[in-house]
Amino acid sequence: MRMWIYIVRRLILIIPIVIGVMTITFALVSALPIQDRLISSFGPPPKNSPGGYAATVPCSVLHINKTGDCPNPLYVRDTHKLGLDQPIFVQWGVYIGNSLTFNWGYVDNNSGAARSFPGNIQGLSVATTLGEFLPYTLELAIFSLVIILVVSIPLGNLGAVYRNRPIDQASRVISFSGYALPGFLLGSLLLFSFVLALGPTFNWTDPTCNKESWYLFWYGSWPQQTCYPGGQWPSWLTAGQISSPTGFPTVDALYHGQGWLALDSIIRMTLPALVIAYGTIAGLLRFVRNSMLEVMNLDFVRTARAKGVPENVVISRHAGRNSLNVTITVLGLTFAFFIGGFPVVEYIFNLWGVGRMFVYALLSPYDFGLIFGSTLLFTYLVVFANIIVDVLYAYLDPRVRLG
Amino acid sequence: MAESGTVPSPPLPAKTKTKRVKKAHRPNPRIAQMKRTFYFLRRNTLAMVGIGILLIFIGIAIYALFQPIPWTQLTQQCASNNGPYPPTGGCLCTYTPGSQDPGPNCYQTPLGSPSIIAPTFNFAHGTLGPLPLGSLTVAPTTPIFFDTYTGLLRGSDWSLGISVAIVGTGALIGLLVGAISGFFGGWVDETLMRIVDIFLSIPQILFVIIVIAVLVQIPFFQPFTLRITLLIIGFVIVWWPFYARIVRSQVLVVREQKYVEAARASGAGGGRLVIRHIIPNSVYPIFVQMSLDVGTIPLLLGTLVYLGFPLFATIYFPEWGSMAALSVFGQTLSNSFLTCQFGTCVIPWWQFLFPGLALFLYAISVNFLADGLRDALDPRLRR
Repeated sequence: MRMWIYIVRRLILIIPIVIGVMTITFALVSALPIQDRLISSFGPPPKNSPGGYAATVPCSVLHINKTGDCPNPLYVRDTHKLGLDQPIFVQWGVYIGNSLTFNWGYVDNNSGAARSFPGNIQGLSVATTLGEFLPYTLELAIFSLVIILVVSIPLGNLGAVYRNRPIDQASRVISFSGYALPGFLLGSLLLFSFVLALGPTFNWTDPTCNKESWYLFWYGSWPQQTCYPGGQWPSWLTAGQISSPTGFPTVDALYHGQGWLALDSIIRMTLPALVIAYGTIAGLLRFVRNSMLEVMNLDFVRTARAKGVPENVVISRHAGRNSLNVTITVLGLTFAFFIGGFPVVEYIFNLWGVGRMFVYALLSPYDFGLIFGSTLLFTYLVVFANIIVDVLYAYLDPRVRLG
Repeated sequence: MAESGTVPSPPLPAKTKTKRVKKAHRPNPRIAQMKRTFYFLRRNTLAMVGIGILLIFIGIAIYALFQPIPWTQLTQQCASNNGPYPPTGGCLCTYTPGSQDPGPNCYQTPLGSPSIIAPTFNFAHGTLGPLPLGSLTVAPTTPIFFDTYTGLLRGSDWSLGISVAIVGTGALIGLLVGAISGFFGGWVDETLMRIVDIFLSIPQILFVIIVIAVLVQIPFFQPFTLRITLLIIGFVIVWWPFYARIVRSQVLVVREQKYVEAARASGAGGGRLVIRHIIPNSVYPIFVQMSLDVGTIPLLLGTLVYLGFPLFATIYFPEWGSMAALSVFGQTLSNSFLTCQFGTCVIPWWQFLFPGLALFLYAISVNFLADGLRDALDPRLRR
């Protein structure tokens, strides 16, 4: 089978998964009280309406029923607008259709998440908003993935080669402590120690600001406004947080010819990327080691040794490459956990990515559009990462796509 | 056996002189496997260390169950402020700054923020050891305190109990689903595994959060005990697919074994095969995942609380993850972080150090155990 046929087949296979995920979120949304959904979509009820969004309001028209309640016109109108008076299957179909076409609703005018963001995102569609925050998250993800691979593959191979020696035990303890340290604790402690303790001690200067500005690391994804010439954000930095044209901070800074700013954004990403990576390395390292152990007992490795191939070549070429399959598979499996670390880390380090948007939406009472939108977006990331993993796997191991 | 009450049993054959050869004692193969596993586990130092730490924690949890909480001087404030939950001892200490110190577990604060209090050994309290190590605050603006030591002690119950409940329930569901899926195969397998795939592709922590965020809106879940149930439900909904997948892969191996064939040949039905033969023989691999998850769940509880999830913030819920999360959360968000940068105040390290240490030791001990189990159960890695 050709490679592109395999890829197309994989892409078709994800459709039921995406629809299933949407069905789950639909079930969750449907479980919400209707009044909350109305507030989430149309804002708080107007002052002049007596019952708010209650389904019935007391009224004096006694012939409607005996208790003197009649349907609330506001409720009837707005549930009709949202389509909540339709049968549940129709609602489900509409929801799936909207989700697939990225019609995820709009950021409300009194959304808490929108108010936390320094710029103006009120009234934008949820998909557009999240799309603006996505590149930062992606760059952070790529950065931490690089750290993960660079650390875990050599360390896992070393652990397999020097099995049960001190280096194996040390890598084991290091990786397990990554697993056992919650991201919020590690991130906060790193931030405390770097900003509070180490900052004044070493008298760091931010490369973009020529003054003593070590504590600006606390400030977030970009330097403070005062650090720019003239004390103004450059025009390509919306609200000082979202960069244009691509949204990837390093790429944009380089595009505008500001190398120091690119370096600065990488420095700002280092701690968060380390925190995310540290939690994921634990899941990967043991599998790399174990698969390496298995491969090193196979016949072709013995043959290679027997015919006099140098040991380091045996380990790097013969065994190392063949153990990569497992590494990639496990990376795909742990990707959901990996992505789940982003809200916390972006929240701690004040980075304006999708995860931070998710946290702010969670903290404000009625931002269901942003909450479910960012969950869907993260799920898409996981699904597409898994496709990439599958394709890589098929590339590395022809048996998969031929079989 | 069943008819022995009604029908007279046939006469025993007359004893012959030939001595019957005593059968060699053959242990139950499952018990033998358990012994073998434990033998390999015992040779793994780190796993033994993990088991040791875990046993200490279980001991602490049992000890904490029978410990009264020293809230003697704060009962009135507890009654007035704690709402409907003074469960087995829990307190809010509110007091206006400048007034007299209301009790051994409440402290006046130098900067108006209760989070910045140096740890003291309270000799007036009449207790040796680190009791109370200052107070743990929820956030500088909310006057909710409890003592770190007491919180840790009670938290051992909550952390261990909740994680075991979640993992046990999730593993049970996953075991059933995985066994059914693997045993029956065909469209049952396809359907169940697609559902598992769907569940696994949503990032777990986000999934837990949105499930709980939705369910908590339902008025039924307002009482405290039901909120704990809700927490467990939310985690179980997210967690069972892992076990289902692991069990299925093992069942696919087990169902081809000779003894399953033999059982089927002697007339065992599908249900009996699954319950008596398949499940007991494919249960071992999920122990690894279970022990990993038992360590992960307190961390995730902490993450939930750290993200500002208003589930237990206003009531006494001393769970290690929440304690660590709230202490750090308060520090990150409070102005103390900015005022501390010139060294004018104390960073309250004890507030996140001790809960964090408890979390860390607990999680790393079960990780050691899980790793040892993995090595012991996998014959390829043993040698």
